[in-house]
Amino acid sequence: MIKPKIILFSAGLILLLGLTFDKEKLSSSDTPIAIVKKVVKDVTYRKATDDVDWEEAKISTQLFAGGEVKTGSKSLAVVLFTDGSGVLRVRENSILNIYGEKKDKNLNKNTVITKGVVGFDVNKQSEEEEFKFTTPTAVASIRGTNGFVGHDDLDSVTTIFVRRGNVGFTTSNGNQGNVNGGFTARINPDGSFFLETSTDNDNNLFRQTNRTQVKKLRMRTNDGVVEIEYLTTPEGNQE
Amino acid sequence: MKKFLQLSVLFSFLTSISFAQVSDYILSVNIGDAKEKSPLTLTADLVTVENISSLYIAYKPFGENEFQKIEMLITGNTAAGTIPSDIVVPPYLDYYIIINLKDGNTQTYPVGVDQGANTLQIAIAGVSDKDKEIIVLSPVDGEILTKENLLISLSFIKASDAVDISKTKIYLNETDLSSQALIAGDLIVISGENIQDQIGYGAGSLTVEVYDKEGNPYHSIGRTFQIVTAEIFAEAESRWKFIGKLRGESRSESITSSSTWYNNISADLNASDDTWRLNGYLYVTSEEKERLQPYNRYSAVIKGSDWLELQVGDTYPRFPNIILDGKRIRGVSGYINLGAFNIQAAYGETERKIEGKIDTLYQQQPSFTSNIIAVDQNKYGAPYAKVQLGTYSRNLFAIRPSFGSGENFQLGFTYLHSIDDKESVELSARPQENAVFGTDIKFALDDQNILFTTQAAVSLFNKDIYSGDLTDAEIDSIFGEDGYYNVDPDQVKTMRDVLGTIITVNQYIGPLNPQELASLAAETALNLNYFNNSFRASYIYRGNDYYSFGQSFLRTDVKGLNFIDRIRMFDNKVFVSLGYESLEDNLQDTKVATTKYQTFSGSISIFPRVDFPNITLGYNRYDYNNGLKLTDTTYQKYVVDDLTNRFLIQLSYDFIAGIRHSSSLSFITQTRDDESYAPVDANYVSGTLTLNSYWYPELSTIFQIIYGSSELKELNRTTNETTTEPFDYVTLSIGARYKMMENKLLLSANLSPSFGDFKRQALELFADYNILANLNLAFQARIFRIPGSSTNSIIGLTTRYTF
Repeated sequence: MIKPKIILFSAGLILLLGLTFDKEKLSSSDTPIAIVKKVVKDVTYRKATDDVDWEEAKISTQLFAGGEVKTGSKSLAVVLFTDGSGVLRVRENSILNIYGEKKDKNLNKNTVITKGVVGFDVNKQSEEEEFKFTTPTAVASIRGTNGFVGHDDLDSVTTIFVRRGNVGFTTSNGNQGNVNGGFTARINPDGSFFLETSTDNDNNLFRQTNRTQVKKLRMRTNDGVVEIEYLTTPEGNQE
Repeated sequence: MKKFLQLSVLFSFLTSISFAQVSDYILSVNIGDAKEKSPLTLTADLVTVENISSLYIAYKPFGENEFQKIEMLITGNTAAGTIPSDIVVPPYLDYYIIINLKDGNTQTYPVGVDQGANTLQIAIAGVSDKDKEIIVLSPVDGEILTKENLLISLSFIKASDAVDISKTKIYLNETDLSSQALIAGDLIVISGENIQDQIGYGAGSLTVEVYDKEGNPYHSIGRTFQIVTAEIFAEAESRWKFIGKLRGESRSESITSSSTWYNNISADLNASDDTWRLNGYLYVTSEEKERLQPYNRYSAVIKGSDWLELQVGDTYPRFPNIILDGKRIRGVSGYINLGAFNIQAAYGETERKIEGKIDTLYQQQPSFTSNIIAVDQNKYGAPYAKVQLGTYSRNLFAIRPSFGSGENFQLGFTYLHSIDDKESVELSARPQENAVFGTDIKFALDDQNILFTTQAAVSLFNKDIYSGDLTDAEIDSIFGEDGYYNVDPDQVKTMRDVLGTIITVNQYIGPLNPQELASLAAETALNLNYFNNSFRASYIYRGNDYYSFGQSFLRTDVKGLNFIDRIRMFDNKVFVSLGYESLEDNLQDTKVATTKYQTFSGSISIFPRVDFPNITLGYNRYDYNNGLKLTDTTYQKYVVDDLTNRFLIQLSYDFIAGIRHSSSLSFITQTRDDESYAPVDANYVSGTLTLNSYWYPELSTIFQIIYGSSELKELNRTTNETTTEPFDYVTLSIGARYKMMENKLLLSANLSPSFGDFKRQALELFADYNILANLNLAFQARIFRIPGSSTNSIIGLTTRYTF
């Protein structure tokens, strides 16, 4: 059962983001915030959350402020931010929105993860730039590091894994924390959190977020050739 | 496009240049990518390895007086060494190569650096701020892609307002794809899906030309990548990537009347995934001899990102440079970096034991010379012998715990202990022992734009540990009211017991004057990086008795200040560099007078990045003076009064005259005015003109002319006679490279006759045949004819297999 506080926090956050970035949508700038670099299987997107239609994402699909990306089962999307600040690897069954605000020559980025796991590899940000991840229970600020952020929409727990560098975060009840390389933060729906040394599962999941390998299986049938494309785990097993 | 082609070729030319100078041992030196803050590899083609025991690169950045040294790894008839990235800064590096010969002599390349001849320079290209403005989102350098996955995407979000995005030209392997580009605000996108029919498999070279609103070239950037089939892509994307190289060589060297066969094999195996990197290296050569230090090399490395590294075999650990700096250790080394706490350690053998040889046996102790030692009378039939001294096995241990990641702060403590194993050989003398304690600290602020570093170390050095620690009886007989030294023997015994846990304590231990800081070495430096200025102020102090077996090349008995400022202007197109160094010796009053070493360096480098040559102008003034006068008959022989002025100009230019050419011209003149008691005035002039011409994709030629002139004038003040030794020569080089059989066969020939006081004719022939996709066979022949003396040849066959 998700607590009302979380629902309120999430709603407020989305409203706040909407207000913040609505101006961006209306601005004259037509530069995308991000671009799709790679697509495996079922990846769709829509230009804004109020759009009804989901379109198939392809390599070179441009994502503007407010754009939403969704991955299906055994699917993957690799997304690049257009200021060269980093790459996101959106794992299967994930939904995220990308927001951005251009100030002078800098781009402030905010990726809202509603569910799923997103691997990140972010270059060092200047003092004037922001790179944030937002989930229903936390806002994480990245200065230059790699790891992943996951949000389980069933228990509403957010996981922040940092491989290298440092990530600061604020939870839904205002608690603040820092995750250093080799550590994982788990943030509960009530805003409480605990830090622990990253487990083998975390490390494996991180490795999986880094893998973008696709294998193809071709089968000759009487009706022609059937081609099955699938994503592999680091160990080479089918996911 | 032509301008940009010229530009890109110019940079590639700048980054890979081959220089040839007069040398009996080195044919030429190939210089890698000389880019700011990138490691720089120098590869020397050796004339012969027959007489060479080791080679070192001596290098120093602009404005500094002291050369640092790094050992080169000899592989077959080449030797390579890499200068660390932090030294590689504009405008240029000075370097020369030290060739240690098996007979104990040393030569330099170019010849005569130890006698004041010119060193060589490598122009270092700066990084342009425009590289940060125009962002190539995709592809990234070295990326492996399929045709379907190719995405070309450029971002101009950070670009100057002067840039006109719509004028941007995009070339993929010379094919103009500009018309396929989709412009979305500050983004340009080309999807591989739309250009599949215009791209093939193999190496991809992306060139992007950016123009300003007036249509003038603004900047050019490039990326290289590979386009492969889906099957190869899947292989390349697998978790573990394996790369291996096997190489075997057999060659015959006929030098004067003797002929020697050399055979060697090497294997270099790498495996890596996202986190771990494993490397194994093996080099086995027929030059390996028991009576010499090792020529074979082997190592295994495991590295986990930046936090862990473990090396076994021949390792070259780098600790604070005044203690241990890249010395070869056969053993283990590694580090664990946890951020808040880190530890680095190394242990192994730096010298291999080599047994001595008896020349003459004596029944009675003859007059003392250093190579007459007591020997086992029962074994040799005499109690004394004159011997060729052997080498003790020497082990070294170093450890450095440190606190802080180093990004903003790090405090480290280093302990080094090194000792000769006196039982390792029988016929030798004076085994030694060394202990060094050091600390280092680093503070960085504002993203390392303010950087403060300090390191300090003290050493203990025992020149002869053969007899071990002083005994109580020896102390009682030497110290005390009736001894040689009126010091309480008990105090001496206490000191021995304390120090004896670290190092052997006897009459050979030093320093003897620790209160004068004789065994202290310290360096402190402040780096400021603001307003396009890179300013560095540093102070060094090295007492005359400072020794570290981990750092064989540190200049001791010197202290002083150094200031360097590198000023970048006009988007790094112009570098103005100024340096001043003031050093002095005689820190512990061990010399007749104190010599002051003052060096001024100035340089301006222009990299216009348009259709105009790159230019570097440099000036150095070296003033060494100890204040003594020739009129002072007591000390006139110790007078140091030496003034050297050096000017250099280097030009490089790419142009099209029918076909594409790359050219470079360098000119150096150096004058030394020596006013010492036995003065040697010297004038050196050298010039090099090189022209590379690219006739067809398959055919290129090189023409080079080198002129060298030196004149040494020695004055005998007793007879007032002057002896002049001129040495002038010209070397011409004409060569060609031709690829045939669909680039599977590369043929190369180079003829280099030298005229004047240095006469030699060199012919080099080279053929490399790509038998299979990853198997090459190369034949190399070098013939050197020295008129009136000898004709020497080196003929070799090499097989390379990569996987």
